[in-house]
Amino acid sequence: MADIVLSNVHKVYGHVVAVTDINLAIKDREFVVLVGPSGCGKSTTLRMIAGLEEISAGTIAIGGRVVNHLQPKDRDIAMVFQNYALYRHMSVRDNLAFGLRNRRVPADEIAAAVSRAARILSIEPLLDRRPHQLSGGQQQRVALGRCIVRNPKVFLFDEPLSNLDAQLRAQMRLELKELRLRVPTTSIFVTHDQTEAMTLGDRIVVMKDGVVQQVGTPLELYRKPANRFVASFIGSPSMNFITLRVSADGEHFALACHGWQFRLPARRFPHLGSHVGRSISVGVRPQHVRLGAPVNDDQIALNGAVTVTEQLGDEQLLAVRLGDGEIRIAGADPDLSLPTGTQIEAAIATDHLHFFDELEQI
Amino acid sequence: MNEKTRFMLALITPAALVLILFQVVPILTGADASFRDWTLHDPKRTWVGFANYLHVLRDAEFRDIVLPNTFGFMIATVACSLVLGLAIALMLNNRFPGRWLVQSFVLLPLMVAPVIAAIMIRWMFNDQFGVVNAALEGLGLAPISWLTQRWTTFAVILLTDVWLWTPWFALILLAGLQSLPPEPFEAARIDAASAWRTFRYITLPMLRPVMVVCIVIRAIDAFRTFDIVWTISGGGPARATELFSIYAYVEAFQFLNLARGSAAAVIGAIVIVVFALLLYRVLNRFVEVSK
Amino acid sequence: MTDIAAAPARSVGFFFALAPRGKAVFFALAATAVCLLFAFPVFWLILTSLRTGTGVYYVHRGTEFTTDNFHEVLSQEIVLRALFNSFMISTLATVLSLGVTATSGYMLSRFKGPIPNAWFSLIYIFRCVPYVAWVLPLYFVTQKLHIFDSYWGLLLPHIAVHICFFSWIMKGFFDGIDPSMEYAAMIDGCSRWGAFWRVAMPAAVPGLTALAILCWLYTWNEFLFALILTAHETPILTVVMAQFVHELGMEWHLMSATAVIALVPALIVTLFGQRYVIRGLRI
Repeated sequence: MADIVLSNVHKVYGHVVAVTDINLAIKDREFVVLVGPSGCGKSTTLRMIAGLEEISAGTIAIGGRVVNHLQPKDRDIAMVFQNYALYRHMSVRDNLAFGLRNRRVPADEIAAAVSRAARILSIEPLLDRRPHQLSGGQQQRVALGRCIVRNPKVFLFDEPLSNLDAQLRAQMRLELKELRLRVPTTSIFVTHDQTEAMTLGDRIVVMKDGVVQQVGTPLELYRKPANRFVASFIGSPSMNFITLRVSADGEHFALACHGWQFRLPARRFPHLGSHVGRSISVGVRPQHVRLGAPVNDDQIALNGAVTVTEQLGDEQLLAVRLGDGEIRIAGADPDLSLPTGTQIEAAIATDHLHFFDELEQI
Repeated sequence: MNEKTRFMLALITPAALVLILFQVVPILTGADASFRDWTLHDPKRTWVGFANYLHVLRDAEFRDIVLPNTFGFMIATVACSLVLGLAIALMLNNRFPGRWLVQSFVLLPLMVAPVIAAIMIRWMFNDQFGVVNAALEGLGLAPISWLTQRWTTFAVILLTDVWLWTPWFALILLAGLQSLPPEPFEAARIDAASAWRTFRYITLPMLRPVMVVCIVIRAIDAFRTFDIVWTISGGGPARATELFSIYAYVEAFQFLNLARGSAAAVIGAIVIVVFALLLYRVLNRFVEVSK
Repeated sequence: MTDIAAAPARSVGFFFALAPRGKAVFFALAATAVCLLFAFPVFWLILTSLRTGTGVYYVHRGTEFTTDNFHEVLSQEIVLRALFNSFMISTLATVLSLGVTATSGYMLSRFKGPIPNAWFSLIYIFRCVPYVAWVLPLYFVTQKLHIFDSYWGLLLPHIAVHICFFSWIMKGFFDGIDPSMEYAAMIDGCSRWGAFWRVAMPAAVPGLTALAILCWLYTWNEFLFALILTAHETPILTVVMAQFVHELGMEWHLMSATAVIALVPALIVTLFGQRYVIRGLRI
């Protein structure tokens, strides 16, 4: 069983707190992604799990065993680094075999393990080459090979796709998923790219400034972001936020800002009651704003003038002036001609509205 | 000749002038002198072809003592300073309290003139009053007459050269160590590599390009050593510790036979240039492999 | 297939196995040994120079200290002249060499083609030729030019050597300076010389400082050229010291005092310039 449990894990560098109170339970064979902007502590957390950084406080357990004081080599893990960290003066074969040789595994078993790993990753013809003779994608596969050759309990990935160009990155994402099917192993994957997080993870851990913001499946994070940061981080193009003032209006709540106002039935949105008289932040994804008039009572209307458009081929992205601010609309018909200044009307289903006070989702 | 070419030539003209007058011309003069009969008390300067060269090459002193001395010395000093320098570089690559102090001490020999170093160490090994013999006596051992026998004299000379040049190796290797990327080492920690295996299979191969350059440069310079041998033993006892540069000097300024001295110098020059090329090529193969 | 992951890592390794305490002790011992090895000869030299003439025979047992040796050595005219000459030669050689090697290195860095290649090969070959091969005939060349045993007779050969040694390092410095600044200057109306003087050289100042210090130290400590190319008119400190060894015989107290005096400027320059050398060579 290779579950990973982090309990109250902290990391401090002198006076700088890098990671605060992380609690995570990762199930056996689960693929968990740590995602967040630079400096959020995701790499630090990964390196603490690997044993490359000391844990300032708390415990980390792998397979039920507390590993705080174990050397990386004793934790039964394998790691893929951002710049692959291949041993550049060794052949691919030697790169794969190095870890096994250090552990005094018999030569024939090493050969078997190496050829199995090479077969899985389709790098057999490259076994006698040196890293500098390989392309970026091939080097990455060798790095993956180094992982699977030892059959460890845990795979750790530290932004392994960041050094690849966009097309190669997409391809490697697919290969990683295929690898998961053939060698299912508990995995922790660190990235700053939310697309990678969404496409690869069984569960995603969003981090910011050393604190876990939310843990959930990709769909949970997309549909029910716990706070403004997660809402703006997940999903592309990112969510629109408009500040609106709440007031009571009989059986409705009226939300208004300069240039936009609408009413919501109090029965369906009771939690707005405690915010009457104050301003809140309303979020809506560009994909959920549809051009055209509202078709039923569960939709609200929005009017504004187009400022810029971006043609993507199968859709258009619009930036629309709304009061003092701007919102973006995705999914517009690519054939529509919308020069700057065109007044448009759009509709939003009330289900697609997200409400945030300063930080949290209401 | 366009403007760019003129600029290029203008940039190097002063250097070229100095180089030609004070290096090319002397070397050519020396080469020329080596083909003539030119002693300082009898400057006939008649052409004698390769007579001087043959004389030097046939000279038992040169063949049996000077050349082996020079090569042996070169190999010994480069090997010792490399190993010691590497050890010190590895040590300085870690952070420990007082590291800055150790670093300052290591820099000490770099500012000492070879002549001064030779004087210091010669005094330490003085057979009557030197501190080394005093220590030996203190330990109950017999004092050694260091500078009257060939091999002990060589030991003293070797010690001086290693003392002088280990810091040079150490500093350059330290810079090399510090420029190595940390990730392969982290991967090696995960790959259960012990300290020794990490050193042998990861550190050393990655350091090889730097080491090769250091070895070649230092080997060439060691071949040409003059200062410390001259100061410690003058080539003695009885010319037993002569290196080839001393041999050439002795021929020219003590036997006053400039032609033979030049011939010896030219022979040495050819030897070292050929050796340097060979060494570079051999070691470069290792670098290619480890790139 | 056996469970490879279960194979224990048996080679634990010396360092990792040591408790942090053990590691610290090991480092302390090694560090002390290294410091002693490098400092001892210098310390012994200084100690010897502070002993009286008779005391020097038992340097490790004597109890008297004296500065008489320094007085006596410094009262000798030859030592004072040698001190002055060495200083002048080192400084002048450094200044002149820097100018000449800077242009040389700049040319090697900024241009490609047959001329730079030829220059590079020339320098490389002459760097490898042993000094003895050309110092002997230099003796005659300098005499013919009537500069033997004079400042120029030493300076010019030194500069020739410096060209070979330091052009590469200069090339390295200029390689590390972005040439776009010079192109911008030329577009703005500078000539190539102007771009070199006003843009490239100022940017190379850290490297130049580092090189100046190294060059000064190298010339201060140099022996062979001084030995062959000077006689009585221009005594040089390193030669004077070597002569003392062979002539003074037993008078190690005076020897040491002279050596210590020769060490002091080198020490000052190194301590003062260490920072600049490290900064400059980081390029």
